[in-house]
Amino acid sequence: MTAVLDTTARPTGAAHRIWSVVRLNTANPWTTITLPWMILGFIFVINWLIWWIINTAAGPEGMVEAVDGLQWSGASMFIFVYMMVVAIQSVNLTFALALGYGATRRDFWLGSALTFALLAVMYTVGLTILSVIEEATGGWGLGGRMFTAIYFGDSGWTGRAFAYLTLLALGFFFGAAIGAVYVRWKSLGVTVFFAVLSLLIVALVAYLTFTQSWPAVGEALVSLGLLGVYAWSYVITVLCAVVGFFILRRATPRS
Amino acid sequence: MSSVIEVQSLTKRYGDLAAVDDVTFSVGENKIYGLLGRNGAGKTTLMSLLTGQEFATDGRISVFGESPVENADVLQRISFIKESQRYPEDFQARHVFRSAPWFFANWDPDYAERLVDDFRLPLRTRIKKLSRGQLSAIGVIVGLAARAPLTFFDEPYLGLDAVARQTFYDRLLEDYAEHPRTVILSTHLIDEVANLLEHVLVIDRGRIIIDQDADALRGTATAVVGTSKAVDAFVGSREVLQRDGIGGLASVTVAGLTDQDKAAAVAAGLELSPVSLQQLIIRRTSMTEKEEVGA
Repeated sequence: MTAVLDTTARPTGAAHRIWSVVRLNTANPWTTITLPWMILGFIFVINWLIWWIINTAAGPEGMVEAVDGLQWSGASMFIFVYMMVVAIQSVNLTFALALGYGATRRDFWLGSALTFALLAVMYTVGLTILSVIEEATGGWGLGGRMFTAIYFGDSGWTGRAFAYLTLLALGFFFGAAIGAVYVRWKSLGVTVFFAVLSLLIVALVAYLTFTQSWPAVGEALVSLGLLGVYAWSYVITVLCAVVGFFILRRATPRS
Repeated sequence: MSSVIEVQSLTKRYGDLAAVDDVTFSVGENKIYGLLGRNGAGKTTLMSLLTGQEFATDGRISVFGESPVENADVLQRISFIKESQRYPEDFQARHVFRSAPWFFANWDPDYAERLVDDFRLPLRTRIKKLSRGQLSAIGVIVGLAARAPLTFFDEPYLGLDAVARQTFYDRLLEDYAEHPRTVILSTHLIDEVANLLEHVLVIDRGRIIIDQDADALRGTATAVVGTSKAVDAFVGSREVLQRDGIGGLASVTVAGLTDQDKAAAVAAGLELSPVSLQQLIIRRTSMTEKEEVGA
């Protein structure tokens, strides 16, 4: 029996192709979903034990002061850095496999952007729920702060959800852009990228110092508020997403 | 014969090095092509160009009638798992066979499963920890089970043991008979695949030096063995590709013998034998080298 392959066309629609990339990015959910939650759970347990020690040592009177310090917890910050690494790995390695499977760079980038958006929403929902529980239980019964740390603002759960989502999106797309630079120009490109970035920051600092603009910057930041500053980070996030695509569009997978 | 691939004056330069140097050829539909050449001859670069992974410096590529670069209609009909294919850090083989069907419309999951058994591929080991042969097996299985209308196999034999090599050989021929498609098989292990190939492309230093039907190519040279005297008398002014001699015996590879020539040789008490594809290609390849050195 000879079944001639359908060589002319079985054109798969763009939506299907992009969704395939989403599935490829999460084909092994261990790295993108299971492990991060496990690490977060572990950090939580460690923190909970530390809160318990502090409570036991400080006693009820001492805790009044200690609670003030506990709001400066960076315990949940790892998740944003982790997601940056997830994005770097995806653009470096999953990209190579996607192209072997016959995906276009465009479909890969759109599919990965959708993956990052979905993951960011999932983590935002999870973190927000945990932060609401943290509030309702008076810091897990011990005055602890992990999901309501000061970096997530004081505008209730909606504000915190916005902060999580914004930081996750920044992590993902900044990571994707670095990954694209790496694939296109190898490690030299990444080195140059960070060198230029450092120079730009130093130049900005110099400019602000010499024009004595720091007080004005301070005022601007205060009037923006924490969430206002976060909102401005979408400029960077969107820039990374767009520029990253044009960098990867002319890139060849590393071998 | 309609062509699946048309390449015109294709060049790919990395700095001063022309990895692919002004190459022109075409690939016909539903045939098995061998892309042969030494390590570093430009095989992988050429395949990367054909699949839109590399960008040409100059020249024109048309695959299924269109440029492959960023062209979803073309690319989704192609399977190209490189010899040096990289996989996501945490991937095991089972993740490859889980994800491949999302990209290949003709993917046959049962067939893939049988192939995994045939190659005894461990599904739950990290790909990073697999042996070279097991890594090759993943590429071979994807290439076969995807049934992509244009399938590339890049050095499929690398690290495979004798049984696995035979398995690949058998499965490819069986499946190709049932589901004809265009296959381009790159390798430097020429003898292993010689009998599979219908058409041979030999690339050397970025240039295509042989582009010929495999049978025709085999017929282009014959080894003539006999006493030195008889051999010399027969060879005369014919083109000699290679000459060996021990004592009074000589073995000479001669190009372009007609049937009459062969009959004459046999009548002169000479022994004739076909030259293996590998021998032929080695001779042709080393000849271009000598010419270049001489020039």
